[in-house]
Amino acid sequence: MSEYQKPVPVPSEDSEPFWAAAKKHELSLQRCTACGALRFPPAPVCPECTAAGGEWMRLTGRGKIFSFVVFHKAFHKSFEKDIPYAVAVVELEEGPRLASSIVGVAPDQLRCEMPVEVVFDDVTPDCTLPKFKLVS
Amino acid sequence: MLLKDNYAIVGIGNTAVGKLPLMSDYGLQVEAARKAMDDAGLQKNDIDGLITHSHLLGGVRVHHQRVAARLGIDTAFGVSISSGGATSCLMVQLAAAAIDAGFCKTVLCVHGDKGLTREGGDTHDGDREFGPEYGLFSAAALHAFGATRHMHEYGTTHDHLGAIAVAFRKHAQLNPAAQVRQPMTLHDYHNSRWIVWPYHLLDCCLRSDGAAAILVTSAERARDMRSLPVYLMGMGRANNSRGPFYGNHMTELGAKESGVQAFQMAGITPGDIDVAQIYDCFTYIALVTLEDYGFCKKGEGGPFVTGGRIELGGQLPTNTSGGMLSEGYVEGMLQIIEAVRQLRRECGPRQVENAEIAIVSGNGGNAVCHSTLILRR
Repeated sequence: MSEYQKPVPVPSEDSEPFWAAAKKHELSLQRCTACGALRFPPAPVCPECTAAGGEWMRLTGRGKIFSFVVFHKAFHKSFEKDIPYAVAVVELEEGPRLASSIVGVAPDQLRCEMPVEVVFDDVTPDCTLPKFKLVS
Repeated sequence: MLLKDNYAIVGIGNTAVGKLPLMSDYGLQVEAARKAMDDAGLQKNDIDGLITHSHLLGGVRVHHQRVAARLGIDTAFGVSISSGGATSCLMVQLAAAAIDAGFCKTVLCVHGDKGLTREGGDTHDGDREFGPEYGLFSAAALHAFGATRHMHEYGTTHDHLGAIAVAFRKHAQLNPAAQVRQPMTLHDYHNSRWIVWPYHLLDCCLRSDGAAAILVTSAERARDMRSLPVYLMGMGRANNSRGPFYGNHMTELGAKESGVQAFQMAGITPGDIDVAQIYDCFTYIALVTLEDYGFCKKGEGGPFVTGGRIELGGQLPTNTSGGMLSEGYVEGMLQIIEAVRQLRRECGPRQVENAEIAIVSGNGGNAVCHSTLILRR
């Protein structure tokens, strides 16, 4: 079996719980215990009210495509075979936006505002990537 | 002292742009600086401030000192800064502010590198999560999400983006120093290969070896210089600090707030601008900046850039030397220099008649940092 060649995330001290949750097939972000705001990217302080800390909260995994692009050039060798492939900015139902892949659909079928939901791709024994699929 | 009209650009210099195998990064910067001194009629000992752009030579922590050493300048005030593509206009603003604060009297702002030879001189580490694992790489992609969203919200098309690329190429054909001068039609634009949809190759700016330098001093000292002073009339700066995906940042840049500041300081409106030099790392960034500056309404940038409106002879001649799409990159430095040349009326066949007031924009950090200069003769 060939080894997984694509970059895997290198978690920081702040983001490690995000990736640990993904490994359990959960999409999770920090919620501020003072003001209730969800934050992304992960950080030790709430960007809305500057309160320290926060609790990791499991999200619904539902959202919509806010925007997307389609790569026709491989900037990294490991993606050569995937061209053309899309990267989307998904707006989660709870508000935050993050970059991800939309699986199971040709890039030219994508449109802004399409509803999506999270799926989990166990790309290595140690790493699971949250990706999204269209919701019909 | 008020900054408005009390500080001026008194010297400009730039190297050739393109592939320049015989010079180092520092060599290019020093050559541009020497030309700027000559343009102003200043000696090196007249310069006591130096601002350089730090990030393209990532491993060097006091880059300004390396430049100063090569020029033999003993600076009172020396810093290396980075606000990405917003740095160039910001260096000029910071120069005026430093003189105003009494830190120094005459400031050299310089930037340039071998971005073509080295395929990007930037040695900083890329993101390590929330991007590369999904194949998200490149400035092109990070500036393309906004174009997709703008198309969705406002019906902007590739004909609109193409009109920008074609207009600037027409201007480059009137600029013997431009890196790319071959004719380009809208048909050529549509036929150029996709890089990251919605960007064709011809939506993306050039990579260039090259450098440029700008000398700033007080209006009072400016009177004694060799060249016609160009005064700093308005300045603005703003950052979409929450990032390019946040809120309305894809379709409204820091240009909105930065433009308001600059126009307020200058005491003029967009209708008073004779010539514009708009940071065009990608076509869409020029389009959205024109909207954010108020040259047209939000969402109407597409129709605005068509019909020759941004071409020489049009309502708002824009990127008259070819911009970063056709003249050369140098992270927007050449656009400040072109504004100065237009206001000095040195531009020959591409001269905007009676140009009195110019606007220059800088935009960087993958569409989050912005700076604005309004210049007058």
